[in-house]
Amino acid sequence: MVKEASEMGSTNSSSKAWHVVYKIIKIWNVMIIEAVPDVHHNTKTLFLLQKKSDVYSVEDLWDKRSRKTDIGDEEEKYKDLKGNKKKKAEDLKKEVELDDHKLSASELEEKYGTSVNKGLSSARAAEILARDGPNSLTPPKATPEIVKFLKQMVGGFSILLWIGAVFSWISFGIQLAQGAESPFDNLYLGVVLALVVILTGIFAYYQEAKSTNIMASFSKMIPQQALVIRDAEKKELPADQLVVGDIVEIKGGDRIPADIRLIFTQGCKVDNSSLTGESEPQSRSCDFTHENPLETRNIAFYSTTCVEGTATGIVINTGDRTVIGRIASLTSGVGNEKTPIAIEIEHFVYLVAGVAISIGVLFFIISVSMRYKILDSIIFLIGIIVANVPEGLLATVTVSLSLTAKRMAKKNCLVKNLEAVETLGSTSIICSDKTGTLTQNRMTVAHLWFDNQIYSADTSEDQTTQPFDQSSPSWTALSKIVTLCNRAEFRPGQENLPIMKRVVVGDASETALLKFAEVILGDVMSIRARNRKVAEIPFNSTNKFQLSIHETDDPNDKRFLLVMKGAPERILERCSTIMINGKEEPLDSEKAEAFQTAYMELGGLGERVLGFCHLYLPEDEFPDTYPFDTDSMNFPTSNLCFVGLLSMIDPPRSTVPDAVSKCRSAGIKVIMVTGDHPITAKAIAKSVGIISATSETVEDIAKRLNIPVEQVNRREATAAVVNGMELKDMSLQQLDEILCNHSEIVFARTSPQQKLIIVEGCQRQGAVVAVTGDGVNDSPALKKADIGIAMGIAGSDAAKNAADMVLLDDNFASIVTGVEEGRLIFDNLKKTIAYTLTKNIAELCPFLIYIIASIPMPIGTITILFIDLGTDIIPSVALAYEKAESDIMNRRPRNKRKDRLVNEQLAVYSYLQIGIMQSVGAFITYFTVYAEQGFLPSTLLGVRVDWENNAINDFEDSYGQQWTKYQRMYLQWTGYTAFFVSITIQQVADLIIRKTRRNSIFQQGLFRNKVIWVGIFSQIGIALILTYGLGHVTALNFTPLRFQYWFVAVPFAILIWVYDEVRKLFIRRYPGSWWDKNMYY
Amino acid sequence: MKNYKSLKQVKLPRVGLILLFYLVFYGFLAALFTFTMWVMLQTLSSDIPKYRDRISSPGLMISPKPDTALEFYFNKSDAQSYAEYVSTLRKFLESYDDSKQSQNINCTPGRIFDQNDVAVKKACRFNLSELGQCSGKEDKTFGYSKGTPCVLVKMNRIIGLKPEGEPRIHCTSKEEGMVEINYFPPEGLIDLMYFPYYGKSLHAHYLQPLVAVQLAINSNSTKEEIAIECKILGSPNLKNEDDRDKFLGRIAFKVQMTE
Repeated sequence: MVKEASEMGSTNSSSKAWHVVYKIIKIWNVMIIEAVPDVHHNTKTLFLLQKKSDVYSVEDLWDKRSRKTDIGDEEEKYKDLKGNKKKKAEDLKKEVELDDHKLSASELEEKYGTSVNKGLSSARAAEILARDGPNSLTPPKATPEIVKFLKQMVGGFSILLWIGAVFSWISFGIQLAQGAESPFDNLYLGVVLALVVILTGIFAYYQEAKSTNIMASFSKMIPQQALVIRDAEKKELPADQLVVGDIVEIKGGDRIPADIRLIFTQGCKVDNSSLTGESEPQSRSCDFTHENPLETRNIAFYSTTCVEGTATGIVINTGDRTVIGRIASLTSGVGNEKTPIAIEIEHFVYLVAGVAISIGVLFFIISVSMRYKILDSIIFLIGIIVANVPEGLLATVTVSLSLTAKRMAKKNCLVKNLEAVETLGSTSIICSDKTGTLTQNRMTVAHLWFDNQIYSADTSEDQTTQPFDQSSPSWTALSKIVTLCNRAEFRPGQENLPIMKRVVVGDASETALLKFAEVILGDVMSIRARNRKVAEIPFNSTNKFQLSIHETDDPNDKRFLLVMKGAPERILERCSTIMINGKEEPLDSEKAEAFQTAYMELGGLGERVLGFCHLYLPEDEFPDTYPFDTDSMNFPTSNLCFVGLLSMIDPPRSTVPDAVSKCRSAGIKVIMVTGDHPITAKAIAKSVGIISATSETVEDIAKRLNIPVEQVNRREATAAVVNGMELKDMSLQQLDEILCNHSEIVFARTSPQQKLIIVEGCQRQGAVVAVTGDGVNDSPALKKADIGIAMGIAGSDAAKNAADMVLLDDNFASIVTGVEEGRLIFDNLKKTIAYTLTKNIAELCPFLIYIIASIPMPIGTITILFIDLGTDIIPSVALAYEKAESDIMNRRPRNKRKDRLVNEQLAVYSYLQIGIMQSVGAFITYFTVYAEQGFLPSTLLGVRVDWENNAINDFEDSYGQQWTKYQRMYLQWTGYTAFFVSITIQQVADLIIRKTRRNSIFQQGLFRNKVIWVGIFSQIGIALILTYGLGHVTALNFTPLRFQYWFVAVPFAILIWVYDEVRKLFIRRYPGSWWDKNMYY
Repeated sequence: MKNYKSLKQVKLPRVGLILLFYLVFYGFLAALFTFTMWVMLQTLSSDIPKYRDRISSPGLMISPKPDTALEFYFNKSDAQSYAEYVSTLRKFLESYDDSKQSQNINCTPGRIFDQNDVAVKKACRFNLSELGQCSGKEDKTFGYSKGTPCVLVKMNRIIGLKPEGEPRIHCTSKEEGMVEINYFPPEGLIDLMYFPYYGKSLHAHYLQPLVAVQLAINSNSTKEEIAIECKILGSPNLKNEDDRDKFLGRIAFKVQMTE
């Protein structure tokens, strides 16, 4: 937006335009070079160029290669690249032959078998459509659904559970063959385990599919239409039906539906930002102006926008064969990096699986050497695996993440990939766009200069009045020029909308002026109607001014008013007087000096400055009927009266400064990457706090100390504004140095390709990088980033496809709320995992003691599954609703390598402390149940073999009573139930202590998170249903339990709570102490 | 190498501290466990378990109990084949020997011998002679050598159990005519005077009543597996038909004899 009017304004943009062209040439060159085999001497250039054109951090690789530090990983990428290149080269050969821009209209008609007037016939179009396929970009190759599904079936803990299931079936088979009495137990267990895997797999698959669908629906929201001539008729067709040879008409505001060779244009300008990232409109004509198809003016590219004018053209490429299609398809070749949370979960799965397998194998060996039968040992192994694997945890994590994703969607962050939720939280660098993200994406009048004074205007989003002093008659004159010398108009029918929200037809600067005038003066359209326009010269780049002549609304004043606006220095040249306090005064050198000072000052703020002047035409020379002719300019255009300056800027969003300071306190570095002019970029960076008030760039220091830039100690400068041109010539080390040494960095005049280099540079520092982007050319950077954030409003589909997240309101502040949510969920997942892991020990200990001490089995495998997938599920999800313990935005982002999701302390504290306490409590209950039924603890030791012998039906207890096998089994199930109930009761305490990691529960508030209580009640409710409701279903191994057994473990639950409070107290009291280091997870 | 020393210096106290911590922590837990268990055990009586609801009705069991499930395989002419059964029976009946029952009293048959008010509970005498041919006195092989093997059926001890009616053991064979079943005492009666049982500590010399079942296997039914099921009959409060518990008031076993 800023750039659109730059020709008019103070900032010179010719070098930038050249830069764009240069870049495009490079893109093209690569395509050509790649298509030509055997260009060995060109390899280095090729690599260099390829990066610009596309995607890969090749330069980086190349350098590493030439330094002969072949790290395996990098090497692999390199190979991958080579393979890709061959394929690409073949694809691109066709493109080289593109010469449509050189052909005349009739030659084109012949080539494509079409007619400019009649278009293709429908039949012919259908034929071509069948041959070429629809005119749409092939979405990135989706993994087949079945593969996705199967992946879920073998991912995470599934393998372990499958092993458990298979072992169950094997032992079932053996027992069946041996003719044992109840072999079906193991069959059922195997089936249950398999069911658990399949159900959690289906659940995970469903979750993933759901989030994918959100995106799918998102991109399909607006089907594009195109105006096509077919069968000599104009038709509206869906854009994907276009074929090569179709004649299409486009007008201002349309998106170009395919690559088009223009054959008729009228004032046509296109915005190539989706292709190049530069939103400066480029004019289009029918003339062949350059050998290079990307540079010639007579081709308009797919997905770019026609800003103004109309054009007609022949479709020359559709779908993936378009230039943008190729960039998009190359982008999809960039591999997706694993998200930090995926790495964390993988790490956790390995950890738990490692524990499960090593304990399982250890006890398998122990039980075999204790002369247990192999079959029994296998059954123990299954039990140990089942006890160790938190079956419900991965589903819980998914649910927690999707809850957060939902919460973030409400705050305008739409997350495509659930795991990205957390990635955002671990972000340490945000590379943000300026336009639209940090700024409001619309020009707004920021300052005025008249009567030798600078006034500031309100630039907030919802301005309704302007506070500056409007009493001066100079302002009246100025406002009249602003109102009249303006071609922009409101679209009709928006009277009820706030002025700032209304849609305007016209360019950015004119829109700003129109809205500015409307806010202050009210109904601009009627003012214009009262001051009828009699002649007009629109802005053009040679004149650099815009002029119009109006009748005045004063019925007594028959003079015409000539108003003019344009580049200030050009306007001043045409003036001989200047208005001060409503009076015309001669423009002497002193006043010109004042003008210069003001102009420089406003320009220095990065604002676009426009000058305004007017002239009342003498009535006698220019009577009512005077024929104004704009071609011959039969009216004065010099010796005008200079009235004032207005400067405009795309102002920062009002929420951004706050968000940036939040980022700062959260230890997140915000880097601005923009295509804009360094001065503008720096001004915005300063106003939003990306460059803080006190910090200086090298140039600032040089200016302050009045020494050459080279003499400044670079370390002293905390801020840096890096120009894209400098960046281009920088080595990677130099870039790294800049990224390292400066905490506040602005990259200006960068191309989207350079964004990729910047992202890679940040990643080399070990940072988790979030990148915002909207153009197609941003997509490589979006993909490369740890989290790519596409703009929901301004973003192209390709960018949204490549991104992990879509920012629905394009607002930087939304990213920060996202970061907060991401950090919170990381903390809460820690709590969830700690909660879940704890009871694994209470489930595992029974097996270990059963094997070693040969006591009757304290808890059954099925019962364990009821805890893992029954009572524990809702509480562990409830922890996702826990509020942050302290301001999580006041700490540094987590260190990927050090701050693990599941760290040693968490595992040790859960497993070896709370878990053991739980086991003790549960065992007390177990022994109580047995003792009160007649089996004192001493009797239970070593009884396993006889206890489980089906033929022994007169098993004697401690009191001389004799028990049948079934009576013992029933008692054993009562033991299971008691053990289960004890774990559940202690898990309530576990749930409560996990609410916080550092603060006391009483600081956090016991009742603030209501969902926790839902969890607790569900936990106890499910346990009650299982024991009393299903207590008579023998297959489930639950029995109704005496009520008092529910309370045996309560003292231990209280102990757990008290112990944890003490732990937290010491952690708070003695930060950094041995206790803190070992007990804080 | 340089690091090694400093590492050692730093790590050792750390490891030591952790070990100490866990020593204290687990020591505390162990003490707590022991204490809680001790408290729990203090609430229990040493005479009678707190709850007896899990064994409201007794199971039946036989002696001798073969190793392989409940199946008797023997050759009546091969003493070795049934030697284990005989020795088991002999061992089992040792405690019923007259010499061991000197302290036991003769109770009134047919009546529950209630001793609730007596501090020292007396045990009733069970005369081995009641087992007739299965007492092992006349036939040292308990009939195994003659093709008339004895199996002792006993009812599980349950504290406080008072059978109602006239409990008796009755056995049937699915295969009719293969075996003739004799009971000692006659009709397989279990005398009520042996009930109730007061538990191991109060009722140390208690001997549970036995019923001997003598299976006179038909000479032409040798080599065939004979399935026998014994049940308690005649007492309404002794269950014998539980779906899940196949030993509650009943027992099934198989006998196969060769010559």
